[in-house]
Amino acid sequence: MKLKRISKYTIVAIFFFAALFVLESCSSKNASAAKPGAVLWGENCIRCHNAPSPAAFSDEQWETITLHMRVRASLTANETEKVVEFLKMAN
Amino acid sequence: MKKVLLIMMVMGTMLFAQSKPGQSRFLVRGYAHSGLEIYKDESSFVGGSFNPIFLWQQSDRLLFEAELEFELENGETHLALEYANMSYILNEYATLRLGKFLLPFGTFAERLHPAWINRLPSRPLGFGHDGVGPARDLGIELRGGLPLGDAKMNYSVYVTNGPSLNDGLNPAIEQEEAGMLLYDNAEDNNKNKAVGGRVGFLPLSNSSMEIGFSGQYAKLGDNESKYEDLAALLYAVDFSYVSRVSFLNGVIDVKGQLNGVNVDNADYFNVEDSSMYSFTNNSQSYYAQLSYRPAYVSNDFFKDLEFVGRYSALTFPDGALWESDQTQYAFGVNYWIDWRTVVKLSYQVSDAGGHGNEGEEAGESTDAILLHWSFGF
Ligand code: HEC
Repeated sequence: MKLKRISKYTIVAIFFFAALFVLESCSSKNASAAKPGAVLWGENCIRCHNAPSPAAFSDEQWETITLHMRVRASLTANETEKVVEFLKMAN
Repeated sequence: MKKVLLIMMVMGTMLFAQSKPGQSRFLVRGYAHSGLEIYKDESSFVGGSFNPIFLWQQSDRLLFEAELEFELENGETHLALEYANMSYILNEYATLRLGKFLLPFGTFAERLHPAWINRLPSRPLGFGHDGVGPARDLGIELRGGLPLGDAKMNYSVYVTNGPSLNDGLNPAIEQEEAGMLLYDNAEDNNKNKAVGGRVGFLPLSNSSMEIGFSGQYAKLGDNESKYEDLAALLYAVDFSYVSRVSFLNGVIDVKGQLNGVNVDNADYFNVEDSSMYSFTNNSQSYYAQLSYRPAYVSNDFFKDLEFVGRYSALTFPDGALWESDQTQYAFGVNYWIDWRTVVKLSYQVSDAGGHGNEGEEAGESTDAILLHWSFGF
């Protein structure tokens, strides 16, 4: 029983560090910071549900919704700002 | 002179303020769903649930979200508070949340359970009520997302009331389920708080893939009870991959999650024969789901169709009165009327497994046809 639990912790820890290692070794520049809002919208807003079209909401509504999504999806500040600019421009 | 200037300044500011739209925003959104479910011996219209979501944005940094659920159950309308919490953006990478929130224990509860997001009418085995692992709780959380070179990660750490233990001694709750965890407790039963968190990695530069690891540790028993020091370790691993696949002219969506709950060993009272008994109290459930939507074909009808398949399994501990081993296949076809309105038709086969409780037939399988419609607004 104890052993089983320890091995579970170990597996999780190994996964964690392996993932960190892979990420560290392949990261060179900050890709998402260089992407325009339209691309970030297309890539991020379909991860959980169908992406809403910009026309679905007004500027004011988009401000609240993107803040809601920033928190829910743990989007970075930069991504959120660009997506909301795009949505407000394209609606 | 100074006074006049001051008054002019204040008036000026007021005038200026009046011409601005104001910072505070209020939005009501939400969703509703209902459906028809056909089993071998019965069929029924079900659901009729309505979930309004209220969002108050007080400033660029402050958001309050609340969701209520009105649901018809056995001829009565139930009202539940799904969540009610305040988020405060501390800085680019950190947000503080306080209140009742959906827990980032895996992704199903927090991101995928709403009827207009879930690709099938039913939830995977073990991911609904009386499942394996928590869905929501009361507490405080720090969360955020950050770039990691080409990749991205997100994190959450939280302290909540945590689960409590069904110790089998309270006649008001199912005594034969002694050893099961009870989630969503409005008040804590002990001084100890549950501590947990999740880290998610999006290793690809287009954010199409995410792998997440979640854990939670909690003491379970009531204060000064025999089970006071009993603890549980809960863990989850989740996976998501959503990508446009050009040779299929559409979008592929793969989702999966494994939940586990390991509770320390203890002796419980057996209501069936008044003895004490014990078992290795580990439960697990998982699901894997694949869906495909030919979103880029030119035919208007086909591009709104979606095909989905899901396998899920649930194991409750061997030797417990509630032991169980279940599996389920579900296949479905969805028709999307718009991005948040969908009609879902599915066929599912559930297998109660080799064990089954006394009185239940071992290996019993149930087929069902489910037709649901979900509407987001
Ligand atoms: C991590 C998953 C996730 C991602 C990524 C995501 N959403 Fe959402 N979104 C949700 C969930 C979950 C809900 C439903 C909220 C609820 O029911 O509590 C939702 C709801 C919405 C709604 C309905 C209104 C509301 O605020 O509830 C809109 C509009 C929306 N999302 C737009 C977006 C946009 C735009 C993006 C891209 C920036 C996005 N979403 C990215 C999970 C996500």
